[in-house]
Amino acid sequence: MAAYSVSVALTGSGGAGAMTAGQILLDAAAKAGFYGLMTRSMGPQIRGGEAAALLRISTKPISSLDDYYDVLVAFDWGNINRFAAELPLSKSSVVIGDPEQGEIPEPIAVYGAQAAALPMKEIAGAIPGGRANMVGLGAAATLIGLPIESVIHVLTAQLGRKGEEVLAASTAALRAGAEAATSLPSVAKLPEHKHDGSDRWNISGNEAAGYGALKGGIKFVAAYPITPATEVLEWLAPALEKTGGALVQAEDELASINMVIGGSFAGLPSLTATSGPGLALMTESLGLAVASETPLVLVDVMRGGPSTGIPTKSEQSDLNIAVYGLHGDAPHVVVAPTSIVDCLFTTQWAVYLAEALQTPALVLSDQAMGQSRNIVAKPPEYPYVGKRLVAEGALEAYKRYSLTNSGISPMAIPGTPGGQYVADGLEHNERGTPSSQASDHQSQMDKRADKLTNFDYGDHWAEVEGEGDIAILTWGAITGPVREAMERAAEQGVKAKLVSLRLILPASPDKMAAALKGVKKVLVAEQTHGQQFTKFLRAHYDLPSEIAVVNRPGPLPIRPAEIVNRLLAWK
Amino acid sequence: MNAPTNLTAADFKSDVKPIWCPGCGDYAVLSAVTKALADLGRAREDIAFISGIGCSSRIPAYTNVYGFHGVHGRALPIAAGVKLARPDLTVLAAGGDGDGLSIGGNHFMHACRRNVDMTYIVMDNQVYGMTKGQASPTTAPDWCNSKLTPEGTGISPVEPARLALASGANFIARGFAGNPNEVARLIVEGVNHPGFSFIHVLSPCVTYRPEQREWKQSVHASDASPAQLVAEAMQRLAYDDGYTTGVLFAGNRPAFMPERKVKATFADIERKFAS
Amino acid sequence: MTSDIATFLAHAVALEHEAAERYAELADSMEVHNNKEVAELFRKLSSFSKLHLDEVKGIAAGYTLPQLRPWEYQWKDGESPESAPSDRAHYMMTPYHCLQLALFNEKKGYEYYAEQAHKATDLEVKKYAKMFAEEEAEHVVMLEKWIATVKPPQDGWDEDLDPPGDAE
Repeated sequence: MAAYSVSVALTGSGGAGAMTAGQILLDAAAKAGFYGLMTRSMGPQIRGGEAAALLRISTKPISSLDDYYDVLVAFDWGNINRFAAELPLSKSSVVIGDPEQGEIPEPIAVYGAQAAALPMKEIAGAIPGGRANMVGLGAAATLIGLPIESVIHVLTAQLGRKGEEVLAASTAALRAGAEAATSLPSVAKLPEHKHDGSDRWNISGNEAAGYGALKGGIKFVAAYPITPATEVLEWLAPALEKTGGALVQAEDELASINMVIGGSFAGLPSLTATSGPGLALMTESLGLAVASETPLVLVDVMRGGPSTGIPTKSEQSDLNIAVYGLHGDAPHVVVAPTSIVDCLFTTQWAVYLAEALQTPALVLSDQAMGQSRNIVAKPPEYPYVGKRLVAEGALEAYKRYSLTNSGISPMAIPGTPGGQYVADGLEHNERGTPSSQASDHQSQMDKRADKLTNFDYGDHWAEVEGEGDIAILTWGAITGPVREAMERAAEQGVKAKLVSLRLILPASPDKMAAALKGVKKVLVAEQTHGQQFTKFLRAHYDLPSEIAVVNRPGPLPIRPAEIVNRLLAWK
Repeated sequence: MNAPTNLTAADFKSDVKPIWCPGCGDYAVLSAVTKALADLGRAREDIAFISGIGCSSRIPAYTNVYGFHGVHGRALPIAAGVKLARPDLTVLAAGGDGDGLSIGGNHFMHACRRNVDMTYIVMDNQVYGMTKGQASPTTAPDWCNSKLTPEGTGISPVEPARLALASGANFIARGFAGNPNEVARLIVEGVNHPGFSFIHVLSPCVTYRPEQREWKQSVHASDASPAQLVAEAMQRLAYDDGYTTGVLFAGNRPAFMPERKVKATFADIERKFAS
Repeated sequence: MTSDIATFLAHAVALEHEAAERYAELADSMEVHNNKEVAELFRKLSSFSKLHLDEVKGIAAGYTLPQLRPWEYQWKDGESPESAPSDRAHYMMTPYHCLQLALFNEKKGYEYYAEQAHKATDLEVKKYAKMFAEEEAEHVVMLEKWIATVKPPQDGWDEDLDPPGDAE
């Protein structure tokens, strides 16, 4: 575990308010100058289900959960077995339960952590309007060394609207919890820390993706809700409206992807967001976008698969369908953000790439990043704005799919005189007229493939860090725990290099070869059952012969310790 | 928008020769579309013609406007996307009865309901021509000439005009390929009518439904003026024999189009992330 | 019924124009369907119609013709008389069928002009209607003679030894 951070879990059910408490704790940590990460786990019920707010608060920027929780505060034990496996505790952790809720259940007790009792309901009962979750929150904050005043500050800002009485009751409950914490066993504490005054953001991966899309120039979105991607669309709805764009709800994913194709054909950078099952529906139309060379961005917030799978949990198992899921040879762009805040850059870059290359760009985010909140340094401005090569002026004998050196042919936007053409999924000649001739198929296929491989993607193809003859190859949300693991392993004498792939397709064989120069062993880390990423790497890249894989499907996140242990095995 | 043009129907035809069988009703629809577009007076570059897959869906390639030949059943969402992104364009969509009412059925219902301003022409020949003659959603249950359903489908056909009305289409007309001039008139009226305009064209397939040559005996012009109330139109369509031509319904639902205004800057939006 | 000369000529122009277009469309269609012989025939018929069109346009040059919308023409059944009803075409049609189709059209054309000539009260309309009717009558005769020289279709003329294709 890192000395610079503390991990806290708050659990409860039936509207106990674990999520609200967690949110306030995160905001309070930010106010006090800390960085933080909050993920969550919820039962399938629409209301009243079991919920866990899983936080890590840190003096340094973090993008990963730690190996276990220092403290677990349970307002009640409703259905805890559903996610007990996601609440790892060590012997030095402290479990705080309400004695009124009964014994600590077996799935938690089995961790062997210290147990302590805090009568949150009773304490709250003594305060008019007091809630047990505020008592628990006050205790948790105090235990980990977070100044209670930060919490009150956030509470005031959030509850101020609800009136003096509500605020007073919550504040009193908070203080009562803080008071009671002094008689609880001590836990790891946050080091003393002051806000360094830098600009920080509290953002989720889905919000970051939405904003990245906006910054990249998206002006039209067609939306169909699906867990866990809906928030991307819900964030974009008012934001687009405020910035001169439009979002329309479609009747299904088939409609949304095709509306996006229409909007893009008509000249507007267009986007939709979905998850695995929606992406599966959209694959035919993605092929249409490839064949007709219509730019678009599709954000896939991956969840447990296959089929309906586990909608509320994270996984990286849409890699195969994103890369291989279009029928025919249909080259396109696939990118993957490497962290919550990177969802902003990578989605913005995806808009730029889609427009420049006149092709669909898939952004593979996941539930872990999409629905988690991160306190991060405010990201810089990025120069990537979508701009397609447009056919303008007095067009004569216009050829939409003319064979150019770059493979990118100017696109006539409707309204341009002389530029009329019929975009088609049928194979076509340079003019766009359907053709079944070998020479046309070959040359157009070459065009669509070459335009992607000819393009200069710069340094963004991957995040390459560190030195050593061991390389860890990973992507997406697993980058966070891998980075932490590398730090810890280095402290124990094992140095490794990180290559976190952001540009999945097209492959970058030359750049990877340079990054792997001198590397003798490779560790691949991924959140899939079938080792999709490992097989992808083997298919597209030359790798050293010694390859180890740390992989597992969702829902349990891969934690730094697992990677450290695997690295140390090579010591 | 440019000033009205002096283009003729011929100016709206491309030089691509249709692959339709000689005798196909779709030739008449092409003629009607080009005559209608000439009559409407818009520049060719300001018109988008979207289709799905099937014999009828080949039609955009035979015109000289911007076109999109999309995938099977998905012309209407593409068309909606085009119009929502570019309200200034005149948007038409076309396809057959299979493309529009089978795989496209869901999108058809929602397009009628959503009421984006566009005109949709379905060339109905009660068969899947391109794939060699299977029954379609408008085929009678006892038509036995398909290898796929040799005993007939045994399923009642859908009636497109009724479906359109029930789903909220704002303009519903029926035409017959034997009268392309009338179809042209219906298209012009449909384009000029706000919201989703549906033109159901009976367009015989000479190859797989040669008996449809007899349609000309059954087709007859409506003797009523267009219904303006949904209830009235429903009543009429309940007794309609499927061969009545003319404007059947002209409603007054406003067309759907999101408003666009710039009310905030990126800095305004970023403030919400500040922690 | 077209009462004044300008409207009458507008109709005549449209009639020949549509005829020429429709034959050209059929010629293209026959070409695409590899029926070369009939394609050439339709091309010829189209060019004849074009000649008539030029003739009528020549006469019409002296008048200001009304701009009629396609459905505003006063045709008997909504379509111009010589716009060959396309359901009489068949991808394997023989020259005999083609000429029969043309004959059908010319007869309809003749009937149209004959009726105009009969019913018109305007003397100029009457004059030109009669003239055009006589020309159509000549075409009818010509076609009938032509048909006599062409082999009538044998049984099995529409037997296609190839199965249908499915393009998509």
